[in-house]
Amino acid sequence: MRGVAENRDMKTMDIVNPISEAAEAIIEAGGETLKSCYQCGLCTATCPWNLVRSFLIRKLIHESQIGLLELESDDVWLCATCGDCVERCPRGVEIIDIFTAIRRIGTHWGVIPKALKTAMGSIRTLGNPWGEAREARADWAKDLGVKPFTAGTELLYYPCCTPAYDRRARRIALATVDILKKVGVDFGILGPEENCCGESVRKVGEEDLFRSLAQANIEAFKRHGVKKILVSSPHCYHTFKNEYPDLGADFEVVHITQFLAELMEEGKIKPIKSFPKRITYHDPCYLGRHNKIYEEPRRVLQGIPGLEIIELPDSREDSLCCGGGGGRIWMETKKEERFSDIRIQQALEVSAEVLVICCPYCMLNFDDSLLTMQKEDVLEIRDISELVNEVM
Amino acid sequence: MERRIGVYICHCGLNIAATVDVKEVTESAASLRGVQIARDYMFMCSDPGQDLILSDIKEYRLNRVVVASCSPLLHERTFRRVCREAGINPYLFEMANIREHCSWVHDDGATEKAKGLVRAAVMKVYYDEPLEPMEVPIVPNTLIVGGGIAGIQAALNIANAGYKVYLVEREPSIGGHMIQLDKTFPTLDCSACILTPKMSDVGSHPNIELLTYSEIDEVSGYIGNFKVKIKKKSKYVDESKCTGCGLCFQGCPVIMKNEFDLGLADRKAIYIPFPQAVPNIAVIDKREKRPCEAACVDACPIHTNVLGYIRLIAEGRYKEAYGLIRDTNPLPAVCGRVCYAPCEEACDRGQIDESIAIRNLKRFATDQVNIDELEVPQITKTGKRVAIIGSGPAGLAAANDLALEGHEVTIFEALPEPGGMLRYAIPEYRLPKEILLKEIDYIRRLGVEIRTGVQVGQDISLAEVKRDHQAVFIATGAHGGIRLGVEGEDIAGVIEGIRFLRAVNIGEKISVGKKVAVIGGGNTAIDCARTAKRIGGEDVRVVYRRSRDEMPVSSVEVAEMEKEGVKIDFLTMPKHFLSENEGLSGMECIRMKLGEPDDSGRPRPVPIKGSEFTMPVDTVIDALGQVPETEFVQELGLSLGKMGTIEIDHKTGATNIEEVFAGGDVVTGPASVIEAIGAGKRIACSISRYLRGEPLEVEEEELGEEKLSKRDIKDLQNRFPTQKRVEIGEEPIEERVGDFREVTLGYTPSEAVTEALRCLAGQMEGCIECHECERRCDAKAIDYEMKDEIVDVEVGSIILATGYQQIDPSVIPQYGYGRYDNVITGLEFERLSDAAGPTEGQIQLKNGQPPNSVAIIHCVGSRDKNFHEYCSRVCCMFALKFAYLIKEKTKAEVYQMYIDMRCFGEGHEEFYERLSTEEDVKFIRGKPSQVTDRALTEEEKGKLIVTVEDTLLGSLIRVPVDMVILCNALEPTADAENVARLFSISRRADGFFMERHVKLDPISTMNDGIFIAGCCEGPKDITDSVAQAKAAASEVLSLLTRGKVEIEPIVASVNDEFCSGCGLCEKMCPYGALSLAEPEGVMVVNQALCKGCGSCAVICPSEAISVSHFTRLQILGQVEALAS
Repeated sequence: MRGVAENRDMKTMDIVNPISEAAEAIIEAGGETLKSCYQCGLCTATCPWNLVRSFLIRKLIHESQIGLLELESDDVWLCATCGDCVERCPRGVEIIDIFTAIRRIGTHWGVIPKALKTAMGSIRTLGNPWGEAREARADWAKDLGVKPFTAGTELLYYPCCTPAYDRRARRIALATVDILKKVGVDFGILGPEENCCGESVRKVGEEDLFRSLAQANIEAFKRHGVKKILVSSPHCYHTFKNEYPDLGADFEVVHITQFLAELMEEGKIKPIKSFPKRITYHDPCYLGRHNKIYEEPRRVLQGIPGLEIIELPDSREDSLCCGGGGGRIWMETKKEERFSDIRIQQALEVSAEVLVICCPYCMLNFDDSLLTMQKEDVLEIRDISELVNEVM
Repeated sequence: MERRIGVYICHCGLNIAATVDVKEVTESAASLRGVQIARDYMFMCSDPGQDLILSDIKEYRLNRVVVASCSPLLHERTFRRVCREAGINPYLFEMANIREHCSWVHDDGATEKAKGLVRAAVMKVYYDEPLEPMEVPIVPNTLIVGGGIAGIQAALNIANAGYKVYLVEREPSIGGHMIQLDKTFPTLDCSACILTPKMSDVGSHPNIELLTYSEIDEVSGYIGNFKVKIKKKSKYVDESKCTGCGLCFQGCPVIMKNEFDLGLADRKAIYIPFPQAVPNIAVIDKREKRPCEAACVDACPIHTNVLGYIRLIAEGRYKEAYGLIRDTNPLPAVCGRVCYAPCEEACDRGQIDESIAIRNLKRFATDQVNIDELEVPQITKTGKRVAIIGSGPAGLAAANDLALEGHEVTIFEALPEPGGMLRYAIPEYRLPKEILLKEIDYIRRLGVEIRTGVQVGQDISLAEVKRDHQAVFIATGAHGGIRLGVEGEDIAGVIEGIRFLRAVNIGEKISVGKKVAVIGGGNTAIDCARTAKRIGGEDVRVVYRRSRDEMPVSSVEVAEMEKEGVKIDFLTMPKHFLSENEGLSGMECIRMKLGEPDDSGRPRPVPIKGSEFTMPVDTVIDALGQVPETEFVQELGLSLGKMGTIEIDHKTGATNIEEVFAGGDVVTGPASVIEAIGAGKRIACSISRYLRGEPLEVEEEELGEEKLSKRDIKDLQNRFPTQKRVEIGEEPIEERVGDFREVTLGYTPSEAVTEALRCLAGQMEGCIECHECERRCDAKAIDYEMKDEIVDVEVGSIILATGYQQIDPSVIPQYGYGRYDNVITGLEFERLSDAAGPTEGQIQLKNGQPPNSVAIIHCVGSRDKNFHEYCSRVCCMFALKFAYLIKEKTKAEVYQMYIDMRCFGEGHEEFYERLSTEEDVKFIRGKPSQVTDRALTEEEKGKLIVTVEDTLLGSLIRVPVDMVILCNALEPTADAENVARLFSISRRADGFFMERHVKLDPISTMNDGIFIAGCCEGPKDITDSVAQAKAAASEVLSLLTRGKVEIEPIVASVNDEFCSGCGLCEKMCPYGALSLAEPEGVMVVNQALCKGCGSCAVICPSEAISVSHFTRLQILGQVEALAS
């Protein structure tokens, strides 16, 4: 949709004609605040991409404002929707919405990176992005004696596609189930009846697919009489809590960190062992900035005996993204451009022995970085549920 | 009467006519009931438009008029005037707003709506009744709230016109923010230089009553007749007496952050915020009542400012602590060792756990200075000569004070060295001679001559001394030893105590036997016993005829003595001494029991018959006490009392002989060092008065010892957890008894601070009421008992000029304010750059070095939805000014990080250009994301790194700098909401006060008679603030010149027939206009207060209230017309 002058090839002068309808199209597609931007560049200077490569958000927004955006540009797909720029933008520009809108236009015209296309295809047909069989969705719980959710079950545990299928991330679901059993919570899973929550699907611009996933999930939950859902992923949490209600959902959703904090406060989880390690906690973007949950995970960690807790240099509102949001988890990021590597470096700088996470995407990215940086012997990546489970 | 209505539809150019079919509206209007003529016209407000109405009124004998045009806010006044000119009551006119309410906001249907609005207006005017405006006189005074540049300017304008102004300022001085600025843009005028003339005009203006340190408490009334209660906070300084000399704050021991310098410099608890303050009057920052009674100060014979110097020690200001002690006590190092410290006994903390170790703290303070290096003050000589006889504590103290007064002082000392008992009686291990000598030397340096080895009465006659001097002070002490008067006292081996101590002190060879008995129970006895122990006494015993409780010494000293191995035989008295081979062999003693109290209040010891026993001793030291030796005074005929003491007038120290004074032990008999110093000081004061020819007697306040009540103690115990005093270090006993080294070691600094922090008065914020300022104030202006005062004033109009505050940039954590030392605010920079500021104008980093590079970040909290959406208007220009000042003073590299440069105003754009071209300032367009000290490269190490996208380059850059200045937003003052409520004015969404019309009436508020000026209305520069202030003054003056004001007759009235006096309306009325009339039992409206809002009419259950011009009939008529 970039307006190009006839003599585009002329090297001497890069004259272009703006497409006047472009800005309106983006606004129409959900980027309502596009025109509020006054080009201060705070977003660019805030964006973690600029720690590893140039990514001029401001420029991209300006191009969008005047109709000179190049839809085919890689830049359109870079934003990991971490929300740091949005928090600080002086003009209240919803930059994530603008990227989503641009991507919607892109997917509408068939402009979408190959990796995303594959993931979307898998989600569309199999309900998960990993190309795994729908029937295998509950395989992780096969030998655990976890009952399927039936009417009257108190709590639905919704593990997210990643712990359900990914062998590394599976430990999140296993630890969670262990805790639930030890505490004696009445819970069940829906297994093959679940679909991907669609949070990242929406962010890559596949609005129709997102809506159909959400509808299918809402119907499944309603069919089984689900009242309360426990999630391991902040992404599931975000969309269930903030986006599904617009589509007719009416159920309570809790993230594992909130759930654990509550159980600990009520005395239902009583640590009996100690975890004598120096740990640091990574605030996932979708738990922290997007949902303002900063205290609960810290309270859980403070309740674990033996822990020495240190804060990372960028924490809470300033947390550094792992790079996995906005569909980036399904795309390849060049080795020298991964912010997860910087995050691991930060954890090493504070001499942490364990980097505690509570998001499956963060787990995948940090595990990868640890491997490529060859630091597995000095640092471990552990989900918060694993820590709690170990001391119970 | 027949309704003859004219209706006029305005096109307002195309403003109305483009959307409303005016012809159609006119036609529809023509058919309405009572309408005689309906016309449309291009501009009704124009002169031809007005003439049209005038001629129609005549031609068609109209008696009511409707104009359908713009908002009545704009032209109601115009058309009412036209009606009045044509003889129609102006309230028989209605205006239909078919522009703002219709053509501007609708497309389709605008014509229909316009027709409806005109119908309603015609119906309303049909029922309108003629009304006459009310007139009220205007009180010719004006209240101005806020003493910044706007308040100052407005006050001067009004006062210069001859009207009275009350200018109320919350701070101790007027000047506002402008006086804090260094230079003003773009002319670089010195801000203080252009403001202080105006400030001092305000201060001295006969028409301006300045109320500083004051706030508005209550406002009532209405335009022309406001009643205001002003709370004048107590300054604890009598404004009519204070001369602003500043002596008070030099002495104040409480150091606080100076708000004027934004905490970059200190001030005292009593202070004048800055040198050019108006009024130039000190204020005491008293925040809470002192938790203790400061009984220490009262208990001290010289009223040393104990809590003051302890506070200074607690703050680590040791030299200042010494100075404060030295101000009253000429021998601090001596007293820090040997004072019996009555203060400690009185200390209120002693009632909670343990009293403060005041003497040890005094000693600590004196240990921190080298007396030899102390500077001697400049003294103006009086030419008067004073002789002092005796160089003991009384003589030295008097000499010190008299010398400081400028008198020429000569001390005559009989002994070879000065110091009296301090030198010759107190042993070295308690008071090292070197220290005493240093303090005496300092007194010499004040100009005091000490002639030692001169015994008055022998070497020179007292008459001679008297002849050569204008005054004589006899302070010879009490050196005569009292003997037991028993058999055998002349045997060698029985020594008189004072002689013994003197011999040891001057290094005479004197020895004691192995068994030593010291007779007596006072200080001398203890000194003798401990000294005997040090020169070879093995079995040293103190023999005392009463019991431990009666010993006239501190228990600590007794304990020290006992620790060193001295035994005490209580209730024992020698009867006579036994000799063998011309030497002492023993002492026959008798046991005593305690009987009835004697004159001294102590139980009288009574011998127990038959209890005699013999104590084998080698040496006996008589230490029963001393008496003065005063034979030499008889030549002048001074009267003497019993035991040879000189008789004086106790209030003045005067003897019976003119110009001869006496004091100290020679008057009282043996007493303590501090009492002798006290006597010396009192008599010095008397002598000074005598020499000046003033009456000697001075009223002295009686100080009763104030004890805490049980309840106070309980409260204090809850507030202050038990904390024992810090014990002072001592030399080991085994070692110290072998020589004369000083026993106590003195506190270490950390011990001293810990102990000082126990002082209850040190635990409070603000003034500790140590009365140091009161002591220093010659004008007697200090008044600790002063109370807040309410001042009632009546004013006709009010100008609010309450200014702004700046956003605290720590709410934007990524900029590091409060975390990094060298991230500062704009106002802090102003103070740094100001030659009168804390760095004397040096632009420097926290470490005192000048910066090599500075980043100035614009729009910090401004133009930012997360904080303030508005532009703060002054930052671009002051940022340029900062760049200029930095360049001028430091040559540092300066980066401006801006979003848009807004340089409107005279000379502003030129200044911008000058900075870019001549001064080589770097402009980076972009809003920084953060300031960090996390360096990525060598060059960044130790720097503050600002991360920003240079949006013109399209690249992210990191700028390492030494200093970051944040241009933080101007925002409404924290109490703007309260102020708005107090004055019943509105605020805009941004929190600033709302003007009546943003363009055409930026000075007035919706509350008639209340005007706003300066930054309380929104951020603006000095130029605009001054212009607004003058405009506000002009509004006020126009009211004052008229002398009276018309009030709209749209007010409520009560129909007595229906009113039940239920009072619901009174509760609803926001203006307090309704009240119950007794005994009628019906509500009445104060029509001067009523604003015609109609709340009362709506709430009234019996429909007894109606509002003129908005009666039920009129409103329902309109509604009906709209509905039809």
